[in-house]
Amino acid sequence: MTQTESSSLHEKMMKRGGLRAELRAANALSIKQWRVEFSYPLSVLYFIVMPFLWFLPMLLAGTAVAGSPTSSVFGTYTGTTDWVTYIAIGSAFSGLAMSLFWGTGMAFRREQNVGTLETLMTTPIRRDTIVWGTMLHNVQHGGLGVILQLIFSVLFFGATLNLWGVFPALGIVVLAVIGMQGIVFALTCIVLLAKQGWMIIEVVSEVFLIIAPISYPIVVLPPILQYVSLASPLTWSVDAFRSFLMYGFLAPGIIQAVAALLIIDILFIVVGSLLFKYTERYVRAQGALSQF
Amino acid sequence: MQTRESLRSADEEREELENGYLTDFQPRMMDWNASRIFAVKNIRIAIRYPTNVLIWGLLPILWLAPYLLMMTAVAGPGTSEYFSEVSGFSDFLQFAVIGWFIFKYIDASIWSIGNNFRWEQFSGTLEPLFVTPVPRISILLGAAFSDTVQTTISAFILLFTAMALFGVSYTLVAVGPIIVIMLLMIIAFYGFGFMLAGMILVFKDPSVLTELINNAVFTVSPITYPLQVLPAPARFAAYLIPSTIAIVVIRDLAIIGTYDLFLFLQSIALMCGILIFFWAVGIGVFNYGEKWTKERGSMGGF
Repeated sequence: MTQTESSSLHEKMMKRGGLRAELRAANALSIKQWRVEFSYPLSVLYFIVMPFLWFLPMLLAGTAVAGSPTSSVFGTYTGTTDWVTYIAIGSAFSGLAMSLFWGTGMAFRREQNVGTLETLMTTPIRRDTIVWGTMLHNVQHGGLGVILQLIFSVLFFGATLNLWGVFPALGIVVLAVIGMQGIVFALTCIVLLAKQGWMIIEVVSEVFLIIAPISYPIVVLPPILQYVSLASPLTWSVDAFRSFLMYGFLAPGIIQAVAALLIIDILFIVVGSLLFKYTERYVRAQGALSQF
Repeated sequence: MQTRESLRSADEEREELENGYLTDFQPRMMDWNASRIFAVKNIRIAIRYPTNVLIWGLLPILWLAPYLLMMTAVAGPGTSEYFSEVSGFSDFLQFAVIGWFIFKYIDASIWSIGNNFRWEQFSGTLEPLFVTPVPRISILLGAAFSDTVQTTISAFILLFTAMALFGVSYTLVAVGPIIVIMLLMIIAFYGFGFMLAGMILVFKDPSVLTELINNAVFTVSPITYPLQVLPAPARFAAYLIPSTIAIVVIRDLAIIGTYDLFLFLQSIALMCGILIFFWAVGIGVFNYGEKWTKERGSMGGF
């Protein structure tokens, strides 16, 4: 490349801006992450097998106490005796949540470990685009995991899905991602400040997963945790996602779930974005961005 | 004058080296001193991060709780007729907590021992370590010792916290036999860890491999549920893992307090067989992995 060409490319790069440019940058980050993952051959095997391996112990534990795919006790708590379908859908959705919490929450640390964080931070894109780009990859990664796990559950474990509920369930995924992105922004702040933030991410993500109705209804939680659970976007997301996939378009209690999710989404994304904006600025002002 | 002095000094150094330890050095099968030094080094690092031991004791409770809550939602609190029938125990909380205590050792053998060389690689000390004239197995064994110390502390934190949280208790009547079985299991897992260390040298990315193996082992082990709920081939695979017999025997000893003497001796013999098998396979796989990696010059590659 000649010097003139290089200089014009540089000028063009510096002039870029607007939503379209940020979307292209986010997409490039997502593709880059796929390339990294697929350069490890075992990752492909892991990706295919893991959704199955995550669900299997839950299914076996349920079978050990129920002895059959239905349970009347479960029916009194949830309104359905089909605990296998209930857990299969919840467990599949938890894979998406884990992918977002871990994959996106640790994005900055990963870049730091491979020595590309400073290069990425000096690229003329918005800082939060880095987080949104990683989120885009993890939605694709986690989303494919959800599809695989649901297919496995239907084919091998007798889970039954209402196909009329697939499209509205996808809408719930979009709302869920917005709310969880608020949590992810907060987790990214922890990583930026504490550097080795895996411990906090592990605890925070596990707490969110425990208080959500993933493989059990929240009524089996201690009363205080039931209240905390209602303030989590994951609770309403899993509930609405499962209701659509089990009962179709006219799922019971769905309006309440969607309304609650919308309100929580706005709160979480606003607070999360602001936290990220100020933390990132603070860390840069302290010159602590590349510190280990 | 200076050149002559420096030449003389180089000659002297060469002579010293020729008469020194390098000519006396004889390769050994096992260097216990190296194991001890490596174990002490790892424990020193662990002491610098005491919260790690605490958090690894408490975190499994967050992984165990969803199983117990789900089982409660499916069957009602504490027990079910079907569970008593297939497992021989009435309380699934008591059944699962002791299983998770032992799982701490399985988890450590997969994550800690196997990944040790990967962490050395991240710290930039793998290549210096590999040119040190000591058998690699000594280094791995040192890592395994230090991991056992840390895991034991974490496992007891987990056990006591879970006992307090879920209101379960165990008997200490047969503590001697429990320790014997635990020791055999831990030593057998060292072989398992060596095997993983060799695989990680070849495949590099440990997170995927270890996660895969960890989940597969967890699924076929009688940790949260009895072996009877597994399909027959999976049940057979479960008995190839060093911990399966240990979990079954320890659970009986810790909950009931007794175990048939003949069955106990039979379990000991089986555990010894598994131990020898895993050490032979582990050392074989590790040596092959090391040779394979060195031949391709990919030792320091990520």
